[in-house]
Amino acid sequence: MKKTVLDYALRVYLPITLLIVLVTYSVTYFASRNERYNIGYQPTQPINFSHELHAGKMGIDCQYCHTGVAKGRQAVIPAANTCMNCHSVARKDKPEIIKLTSFYNEDKPIPWERIHKLPEHVYFNHSVHVNKGLECKECHGQVQNMAKVAQVKSFMMSDCLACHRSAPEKYPHLVNLTGLKKGPENCSACHR
Amino acid sequence: MDNNLQQTQPPATQYWKSLEELAGDPAVLAGKQHEFQAGVTDDFDPQAMSGISRRKFLAVLGASAAFTLASCKAYRDQGKIVPYNKKPEEILPGTPNYYASTVTTHGEACSVLIRTREGRPVYLKGNPDHPVTQGKISSHFQASIMALYNPERVASPLKGEGGNFSPATWQEADTEIIAALKALGGKKAALVVNRVMSPTTRQVLDSLMAAYPGTSVYSYTLYNESARDSAWKKTHGGNACPPIKWHEADVVVALESDFLGAEGDIETEMRYAQRRDVMGDKPFNRLYAVEGPMSLTGMNADYRLRLRPDAQFEFAMSLLNEIKGASDAEYSLSSVAKKHGLSESVLKLLVGDLKANKGKALVYAGSRLPEAVHVVANAINDALGSTGLYHTAETPVEHIPAATPEQWDALVSDMKAGNVGVVVHLDSNPVYHFPADLGYAEALGKVGLVVSLTKEHHETAQNSKYVLPIHHDLESWNDYKVRPGIQLLQQPVIQPLHDSRQQEAALLTWIKGDSAAHNEKLYYDYLVGAWKQLHPKLNLLVDFQTFWNSALHDGFVTYSESTPGVGAFKGAALSGLKAIKPGSDMLVVLQRGFNVGDGQFADNGWLQEFPHPVTKVVWDNYAAISPATAKELGLRNDDQVEVTVGDRKVVLPVFIQPGTVDKVIAVELGYGREHAGTIGTKVGVNAGVLRSHKQQDNPWLYAATAVKASGRHHLVTTQTHHDFNIPREQDLHLKRKIIHEASYQEYAKDPNSAAFHGHHLVNITKMREYEGVKWAMAIDANKCTGCGSCVIACNLENNVPIVGPEQVDRGREMQWMRIDRYYSGTADEPVVSQQVMLCQHCDNAPCEVVCPVNATNHSPDGLNQMAYNRCVGTRYCSNNCPYKVRRFNFFDYRDRFAKALYRKDVHQLIHNPEVTVRSRGVMEKCTFCVQRIMYARQEAIKAKRDLKGSDVVVACQEVCPSDAIIFGDANDPESKVSQYRKHVTGYHVLEEFNARPNVTYVATLRNTHA
Repeated sequence: MKKTVLDYALRVYLPITLLIVLVTYSVTYFASRNERYNIGYQPTQPINFSHELHAGKMGIDCQYCHTGVAKGRQAVIPAANTCMNCHSVARKDKPEIIKLTSFYNEDKPIPWERIHKLPEHVYFNHSVHVNKGLECKECHGQVQNMAKVAQVKSFMMSDCLACHRSAPEKYPHLVNLTGLKKGPENCSACHR
Repeated sequence: MDNNLQQTQPPATQYWKSLEELAGDPAVLAGKQHEFQAGVTDDFDPQAMSGISRRKFLAVLGASAAFTLASCKAYRDQGKIVPYNKKPEEILPGTPNYYASTVTTHGEACSVLIRTREGRPVYLKGNPDHPVTQGKISSHFQASIMALYNPERVASPLKGEGGNFSPATWQEADTEIIAALKALGGKKAALVVNRVMSPTTRQVLDSLMAAYPGTSVYSYTLYNESARDSAWKKTHGGNACPPIKWHEADVVVALESDFLGAEGDIETEMRYAQRRDVMGDKPFNRLYAVEGPMSLTGMNADYRLRLRPDAQFEFAMSLLNEIKGASDAEYSLSSVAKKHGLSESVLKLLVGDLKANKGKALVYAGSRLPEAVHVVANAINDALGSTGLYHTAETPVEHIPAATPEQWDALVSDMKAGNVGVVVHLDSNPVYHFPADLGYAEALGKVGLVVSLTKEHHETAQNSKYVLPIHHDLESWNDYKVRPGIQLLQQPVIQPLHDSRQQEAALLTWIKGDSAAHNEKLYYDYLVGAWKQLHPKLNLLVDFQTFWNSALHDGFVTYSESTPGVGAFKGAALSGLKAIKPGSDMLVVLQRGFNVGDGQFADNGWLQEFPHPVTKVVWDNYAAISPATAKELGLRNDDQVEVTVGDRKVVLPVFIQPGTVDKVIAVELGYGREHAGTIGTKVGVNAGVLRSHKQQDNPWLYAATAVKASGRHHLVTTQTHHDFNIPREQDLHLKRKIIHEASYQEYAKDPNSAAFHGHHLVNITKMREYEGVKWAMAIDANKCTGCGSCVIACNLENNVPIVGPEQVDRGREMQWMRIDRYYSGTADEPVVSQQVMLCQHCDNAPCEVVCPVNATNHSPDGLNQMAYNRCVGTRYCSNNCPYKVRRFNFFDYRDRFAKALYRKDVHQLIHNPEVTVRSRGVMEKCTFCVQRIMYARQEAIKAKRDLKGSDVVVACQEVCPSDAIIFGDANDPESKVSQYRKHVTGYHVLEEFNARPNVTYVATLRNTHA
């Protein structure tokens, strides 16, 4: 039987094409995972604020600035006046502090770049997690070592659920301390 | 609190979209000048536009996108977080703040708690500390928040010429008004106001009159109690008739009175319902309604008699004679009964009850009846020894007496003669409200300067030279005193959204005679000054600042104030009464608008779309007539009828209302506005044109002729009434056990007689166990009057969209709650049952098993949950729901309704940020206010305790004036809701389906004799 062009195409070109597509797809799929999940996102902020200096070296408690974290849904990015508690005196001559002071004096809010973001149909609540004894680093990583903050963990729903399902095993010391139980897995816990 | 953020910042913009804009960021303001930002087309990145990622499936898709767009930027821009520059101390983003204040309607004031989020009010609830209203609130007050965010509010001063308006400035207006007031000479000036409820506003008006001699104040309320009050003056002395202690009345005979509906208030409903409580220790009261049109009161009555409103005088006189035992040939009950076809047996029971319950029985005449009937009703109550039922401690306080009809006549003739230099309308709309034959609108044309201070454009503003915007209640300072011993305080909770002024501040500016005298604190300082005068009079131990701060915190102050008791009955009032002879012609009864009030809520979509409690008609008014009258006139539903009173005519669509007395046409007022914005203009027909200024003694009832008019007008109802003639449909709700009814008398003797005999249901599978809290609701049908406060609260709390009449007609209304109304008996004398219907959160929910994408499922605390993002819109769930409580978004109604009016930026501020704003293609339904449950859970975790059922108060429960809705933990045997679930009268609707619903209904117990 004579080989036709079609045979040739089906038996040689098609598998090769499929293989290339599949390999490229797989490579891209795994290679782009971090970008998709936003892991490693490290935007440049309008003021070069260092968590490493403030939270790490100086040991300022997270809640000094993120005042809402134990009180309500939002952790709250501090208002400029919180910064000025110290910086109206401290390091007034440094360029970044001059920037901060000018924002403050001109009554302009500072447009911080958002790093961690959940979709808008998610009603995540910081306070219920913090009041159950979970530390910030569980989701946000070792922020006190970051001169420039980046996202280090994935914030997908599967990540939420993984922890909700295994919380007592994952954090056995909290079970007696704060009465940590499994987190809710029902829809309305986060979506409403 | 009085120096909050809103007060100290100058109004930078009209309303704000972002915090930057609020703070007056010049970059944002500059950006507003250009349609596009600089560099909008640089580095165009479609990937950055996508914000959605859905777990694994979408991860694969995302990889494909990355595959094809390999050269694009790696990370998605996550947007910005913009905190405050200087954060107000009391604001924590994401956490609500509550402020006590007061909201008003024309003629009423209600103490409220305002929930604000990041400086914007989003929800109103009653002030729980208020000694009278105790946290309850009616639908009008709740819905009034919509006026704040109305995109069509007058945003800046307007100058008009023959109905065409151009922008003006406050300075221009002030200067011209001050000049006109100064140049009055011998001419007069009139300030036309609605009922003044504020003592301090009254002081301002007084000083304006003193500053400009010739100025006088004309006060009016369309829905007034002038007949009741003048009768009271004649029979007992004093200025106003006190309200009734409904909770102490054992027998109530309502004569043409809708005290549970449009003529009532929150207090009435609260107190009445206390005597309909199966859990309470007091016996049920008994309500007789003698009325022409079907009203909410008639629907709730134990006995209802149909009587022409113009025969009420005869009826009341005969009743008086019967009680007194006097024989009078002209007025005897048996002859009146025969004449009007009233049931003699019911009348006998009525008279027997009145006589047997002396001191606790009350005859209450309706607001639309003429003075003579009120005089007779007062005489009956005196004969029954029931004057103790009058709540003299709450007699309404009048700061400025309403202008008499003669005063209006004089004003209008002065205006026509050119003797009036200035007319200022303070938030009042007399052109719409007054009968045409007063000639007010024409007379305005002869006035030198006509000014309207108003929030929205209306008919009177249309006839004004200056239309000046005033603050909404939520932007204002004021105080109110509507009853003795309680003074309410009003504080702003948001910076003015527009270039408006506080009404009183505008007046003070004119008093000072200088436009530059105005500032935002002008009236605040004046008010504080007035309260500084009040403070020493109260002999308090605290200084003024503490007193003021605590009054602001509480929203009111109370002090003891003696009120005169009920004066002795003056028998002379009865002699010389002008007898009213019932006619045999058609009679037009002009009723108070239940939803739209006196027309001020015509532009309020929530209220327009709330189904009228009697007819379930939305977005319209109509001529309600009896089936026999319809037959006589050859009318069907949706036909048009032309009603003629003298030379005044109106054409109305027909609604055949079971229970209406024959030869009566009942029409609601407040509709047919000519200038009420996109929402309210030309909705319904203005029946007020039938009124005559000359018929002051009987302003709401008119003898009329009616003929069929050509054309048809489709009335949209959410519930077609059941056909009385088809046996299969008749009493369907009773046969299907949707409604369970029993006799109260039997129940009182043996509670088990009222028990619901359901089936013993057996499951072949194991029922799910609920540990911890299990949410459940109970609804007491005896307490529920059907007012609809719950529905409005639900709309407000849960961002329920308004869809418009065309969509309602297709069954696409979006309200999560409805009040079902069922008739039984005959079409002439129907017995009405009402039932609040909402998602029943069934344990075996039929909706859950049919959802192909598991978008609706059950939570461990017993909620039937709805994940909008999973929903693909198959609507199988709605199809399978036996209660029909699921609502599908056929459109994005905010885009679709009223030319996207409610999509406008300023209206977006009304949304509750804790609840998703649903879009097209998504199913939704009652969530048991899951956002409130989650908030309570957050607070419980914070306080390191377990969540209790009583921690959560859902929106409908919170506002219900009669406490008919109970919510809580079904697993807690001590909880209130468990008591109802166990109660002998408790039942579940359609329970034989074995859906195991979690809303328990209490059987309707009718307090009839048998």
